[in-house]
Amino acid sequence: MNWPGELARRVAMLVRRRQFDADLEDEMRLHLELRQEQQMEAGASAGEARLAAKRRFGNATRIKEESHMTWGWEWFESLVQDIHYGARAMLRSPVLTAVALISLALGIGANTAIFSLLDAVMLRSLPVKEPSQLVLLGTADWIGISDGFPITELYSYPFYRKMQRNNEVFSDVAAIFSMLNGVHGTVEGRDQPEPMSVQLISGTYFSTLGVHAVMGRTLTDEDDKVEGGNPVAVVSYAWWQRGLAKDPSVLNKKLKIGDAMFNIVGVAPPEFFGTKVGEAPDIWIPLSMMQQVPPNWTGYKDNFSESLYVMGRLKPGVSRDQATTNVNLVYQQILRGFPDAPLTEKNLKKLAITHVPLTPMAIGLSSLRGKFSEPLKVLMGVVALVLLIACANIANLLLARSTARARELAVRQALGARRVRIVRQLLTESMLLAFAGGTLGVGLASIANCLLIRMVSSGPRKVPLDVSIDMRLLMFTVAVTVLTAVLFGTMPALRATKLQLTDALKDGRGSHAEGTKSPVAKALVVSQVTLSLVLLVGAGLFLRSLVNLANVDTGFNKENVLRLQTDPSSIGYKEDEPRTTALYQQIEERVSALHGVSATSFSSFTFHEGSWNTNVHVAGFDTDPNINVKHNVIGNGYFATMQIPLVAGRVFGPQDTATSQRVGVISERMARTMFPKGNPIGHHYHIGSMDNPYDIEVVGIVKDVKFGDLQEAPETLDYIPYTQRTEYLSDFEVRYTGDFSAVSAAVQRAIHNVDRNLPITRVTTLDEQVARSITNQRLVAQLSTFFGVLAVFLSCIGIYGLMSYVVSMRTREIGVRMALGAARSDVRWLVMREIVVLVGVGIAIGIPVALAGGRLVSHMLFELRGTDAASLVLSVLILLAVGLVAGYLPARRASRVDPMVALRYE
Amino acid sequence: MNRDEIPPGTLYLLILKTLVVRGESHGYEIAESIQRSSDEVLQVEEGSLYPALQRMLIKGWVTAEWGTTAGNRRARYYKLTAAGRKQLGVEVSHFERVMGAVARVIQTA
Repeated sequence: MNWPGELARRVAMLVRRRQFDADLEDEMRLHLELRQEQQMEAGASAGEARLAAKRRFGNATRIKEESHMTWGWEWFESLVQDIHYGARAMLRSPVLTAVALISLALGIGANTAIFSLLDAVMLRSLPVKEPSQLVLLGTADWIGISDGFPITELYSYPFYRKMQRNNEVFSDVAAIFSMLNGVHGTVEGRDQPEPMSVQLISGTYFSTLGVHAVMGRTLTDEDDKVEGGNPVAVVSYAWWQRGLAKDPSVLNKKLKIGDAMFNIVGVAPPEFFGTKVGEAPDIWIPLSMMQQVPPNWTGYKDNFSESLYVMGRLKPGVSRDQATTNVNLVYQQILRGFPDAPLTEKNLKKLAITHVPLTPMAIGLSSLRGKFSEPLKVLMGVVALVLLIACANIANLLLARSTARARELAVRQALGARRVRIVRQLLTESMLLAFAGGTLGVGLASIANCLLIRMVSSGPRKVPLDVSIDMRLLMFTVAVTVLTAVLFGTMPALRATKLQLTDALKDGRGSHAEGTKSPVAKALVVSQVTLSLVLLVGAGLFLRSLVNLANVDTGFNKENVLRLQTDPSSIGYKEDEPRTTALYQQIEERVSALHGVSATSFSSFTFHEGSWNTNVHVAGFDTDPNINVKHNVIGNGYFATMQIPLVAGRVFGPQDTATSQRVGVISERMARTMFPKGNPIGHHYHIGSMDNPYDIEVVGIVKDVKFGDLQEAPETLDYIPYTQRTEYLSDFEVRYTGDFSAVSAAVQRAIHNVDRNLPITRVTTLDEQVARSITNQRLVAQLSTFFGVLAVFLSCIGIYGLMSYVVSMRTREIGVRMALGAARSDVRWLVMREIVVLVGVGIAIGIPVALAGGRLVSHMLFELRGTDAASLVLSVLILLAVGLVAGYLPARRASRVDPMVALRYE
Repeated sequence: MNRDEIPPGTLYLLILKTLVVRGESHGYEIAESIQRSSDEVLQVEEGSLYPALQRMLIKGWVTAEWGTTAGNRRARYYKLTAAGRKQLGVEVSHFERVMGAVARVIQTA
């Protein structure tokens, strides 16, 4: 009726239960005394009176208990008791407890952490309205600007507008520039430009996604109608927090980006990071303003400046198939309808067979996904195996412990403890262990998450990913471990409490032979060995593959090169101005003069930074139009800085000027594959379209280098001097000797001496740059090694635990054997034999499993086969050695058994 | 002297009624009072009073407070609450219904 009040009173009782008990006792004592006095008044002697009083009162102890239980807390009190007892029991064997806790924590923590990352990169839906209705035209495989015809990965702005008007399947269509613009902008009222990333989008972007501003407004189609007409920007919540300290008057602020002032009109909601996972823009600006935002892309009105991703929201009831049909129809119409479409016979043939696939956008775009989805899946498999091993370990430990406690349990039962009570006691202890491990695991998971983010971030800046702990998986892993603990913690308890008490009491070591056999425990050890072998072999493969990668000859000397990026576009330098070239030359001169610097050069790329590639046409030779040449615009000192050897001809020099014959240096590969037999030096080729060719005379040939990544085959590369082709060059390289930080400081000072406003970012070494290109391989190798070692360690503990237990169970038998004349070495062998069999069986099962697993990951390995014998043999040897050491200690203990002591114990 | 156990289920009723009649009382007084007012016919197993009182405390029918007896001893006094007073009505009507039914059964026999 009045249960809240009742509950409050019950809780009050629980909190002050000592007081309550004392009160009750006082009260009852008073009662007895009063009754006794009354009896004495009636003429009884003191003794008689007390007896009479007690008789009339009844069983005081029982009444007290009954009163106490009235409050309904006895379950709680015995739970507290159990926990106390359990904690004491756990602390009595601290090593065992620590091992169990660590295995649990690592199992739970690692799984949760890896899954959180996997979820963030691969599974989680965008935080937008009905993400399942969003589809992308194409597959977002390309990034950049193309003028190809016909292509389905990138689209021009006029194409987007026509698609928006003419389709019949989308309720809304939006376009996203395929690259982020990394700019240096200035917040109004500050004097220092700050780095910020700008995402150019169509005005329909936010409305298509169904995302609303938390302050002000989002962008609208109106903002995107007139080229250069609407300098407005929406900022991300994170940037508002980070860059503007959550300034409430943000909507009155302006941003100076390039030469234009942008009005901040809104703040996006906190959970919205854009549409590309792992790439959170700070600022969204309409595509109509693309030319105002450095590096000042043009092409707003160009039918074939293809640089956009186009996405649409399906109208309700429209299937993806229907949409694909309609989109392809409209696509063909639009491309044929452009007046400047290059409708040659060849192109028309190509267009006829071109098909636009629609890709679901629910989980957003991501370049991380391509790179990390495989490694993450492998790692998820690895940590799942680790969890299995951890569970097996816990099972083994608990099994051994509760079997060893059979005597204690028998004593308690003999003293009248109910079976339920004993089982509950053991259950509580197991749960205590599981929850303590779980808590540690959660802590570990959050630390591991930070570490993982660091490891997947290839640059100095952390990848913006939300990897908050995934509750579903946490629940799952905790449930698995709790279940294991409960199952293996209570199974022996149930068995123990069923046994004949007299047997167990007579002999704690159990005259029953079943204990020494313990098939469950043995099966657990065998499976641990098997899983460990699989993990070890995996770790070996990934490590060796990583070593192979790290030893790849890059073609350039990556040691002792400092590299940094500058951004002249943000402080008003224009791409085609002579003063931009002059800036580069001045900086190169100043820095070259520094002590400890031997060569310097600007360039558009060094390594693993994307590419600018086009077809080339070699005069008088039928070049394959499918081969693209990657171009690198460089300074005269580039080859000296990178130490790329010259094979023939010359490198660039002061004789190559803006007005002299345009020249180029080509890679050996390009010389071999794209030029007629004989010496290419002196030959001409051109890049760009037929009507506006950029003609180049080959003056030199250099050795092949790695350009995009370490795995690639030699690329067709050419080098063009910036003195002849002015461009924004982001990279600056310095070959130095001596201390990096000293040189780095001197270089930056020298640059600021030339122009003190020039922003400098990403100061690092070339070596580091190369290392970052294999981040995912390193991630997999490091983590799988860590987990492989962990697995072996856990298995050792498992073996050690089982054998110690077996030895203690067999002490009497060993005593008898020794009394009958068995030598110590015989006894040792008796125990070791069992270990060898267990490890051997585990390895025998493990080898085919490991080979199969190796085949599964072979495509992730570099210059190594999945069935690599060295990794396998080494893993088997390690496991054997470690297993035998773990088993040797208990075996030695067995051989030291004193037969007299063992027998007298009976 | 012949004493009868109190009928099952009536202990609450007796305690509540006693508290109404006597006002604040401690356990011994309640036991004595029940015995006396039933002309020594009803005998409470005195100990069982205490679990019952605990239950009544939980239900909120009575409150308890420490005080001193006439003999200057510390005793816990139980006092009826409004909820207790209401409960007495419930218990009485329940008792009367049962006793009436029992009486009818006996009369028809």
